[in-house]
Amino acid sequence: MELGTVVVVPAKEDLFAMPGDQSHVAALAQSARPLYSSRMPILGNDVLQSWIERVRKLGVQSLWITSSHGDDSEACFALPGFARQGFDRLLMIKLKSYAEMDLADLVRFHCEKRNSVTEAHDARGQLGVCLLDHRELQAAAEKHQFPGSVISRGRNTYDHHPYQFRGYAKRILSASERQELVRDGLTGACALRPFGTEIREQVWIGEGVNLADSVRVIGPAYIGARTIVREGATIGPFASVERHCVVDCGTTVERSTVLPNTYLAPGLLIRHGLVDGRYLQDLGWGAVADLEPAGLGGRIHRRESHGQAFGESDGFSRAESGSAWNIVPWDIVPSPTAPQPWFQVQL
Amino acid sequence: MRTAAGTVLPFPCSSSCANRRALRKNLLGALRVSGSPVIVDLSGCSNLNHEDIDLLLECVAQVAGRDTKVLFVAGPRVNRVLLDVTRIASVAPVFDSVKEARAYPQMATKNDAEDRVLTKSRSSQSQRLWSA
Repeated sequence: MELGTVVVVPAKEDLFAMPGDQSHVAALAQSARPLYSSRMPILGNDVLQSWIERVRKLGVQSLWITSSHGDDSEACFALPGFARQGFDRLLMIKLKSYAEMDLADLVRFHCEKRNSVTEAHDARGQLGVCLLDHRELQAAAEKHQFPGSVISRGRNTYDHHPYQFRGYAKRILSASERQELVRDGLTGACALRPFGTEIREQVWIGEGVNLADSVRVIGPAYIGARTIVREGATIGPFASVERHCVVDCGTTVERSTVLPNTYLAPGLLIRHGLVDGRYLQDLGWGAVADLEPAGLGGRIHRRESHGQAFGESDGFSRAESGSAWNIVPWDIVPSPTAPQPWFQVQL
Repeated sequence: MRTAAGTVLPFPCSSSCANRRALRKNLLGALRVSGSPVIVDLSGCSNLNHEDIDLLLECVAQVAGRDTKVLFVAGPRVNRVLLDVTRIASVAPVFDSVKEARAYPQMATKNDAEDRVLTKSRSSQSQRLWSA
């Protein structure tokens, strides 16, 4: 049985747009709130890569990646293509959660229950992982409607048993669950390991980190590659400052995450928050503040090439295969009007 | 606006330099002369900019080491977040409403009175011990 796999990056941003790109900054400005892209690293790791590794363990040779604006219309464009390719099943992963899921067990469950559609759930709901049979694939292609989208909107017309996942899972598009994932990664409560060198117990730093002499790092804490932390700053406990950030003099980052390419002004206290460039989401007050007009923070503008976005980011450079991902544009995109490109990844 | 519990000074979103100068003069003047707590009400300002933050920090610095207290009414949650981030909330009490802020000095006065009674009774107790 041949299994096709699609990973859909649910975001308004371009598939390859990484923090620092002008387009990403423009999207942030328009949305007036942080865009917790699922492509943003967590403790230096790319969640997309963790899913790719799980797919690889299924013995799948390649998978397709696209991005979605939330209504799955992009995926619908490609369904006839998948049906024509003769795939018996299609595994669709919406990149909205980190789940330590054994995909082989999902496939086994799907077969045992003779489901036409199987969607993975945990105690809090859907995890964005869905397995479709060939007949559903063909029917969906004919109707131009994605079965998974019907299920995810709660209009489930399918006779199926959902796959109840009882392992570790967090929704990465939720700031609070994302912070929980950071905490669990730092303390070893989940399989996600910080990407860097453990310089002392529960303190990890990436390559090229510049720490001033008077900086205090209180574990558990993570400082991503090429981040600069200036005099008198305190990082931790339970803090993650991702790559290419600048934490200025005397600033404290505690129980918080600072996303890549973020500048934090001197003397700040970031506690229970998630900072993405100019925006700070305070998890305690449940409010998003714009730091830039107050002169307290902002985005560090730097260009990252597409190669960096996929091939050389912290997570991808750790590919277990030891080689960079071979990404080629998918040549069976069925419609030239498809709004987002599809990319095939050779595993 | 002077009340029994202190002076309430609204902090509007100032647009012009002249307005800002006037606001600064009012705020710092009130903090300089007032013996009672001064409540700075940020409810009318939804977007604090760097000049606003500088002025608020100046207010906190003005009362540092003096008996005068400065209290802040944050208004929108975003202001509360910015007061936390700039550590202003660490050195000055922040409230959600003027009503809550007005209640604070009374509580403080009550607590101070209780502290005074406690200290007095302790000192008289120690005097008794010494005399014994």
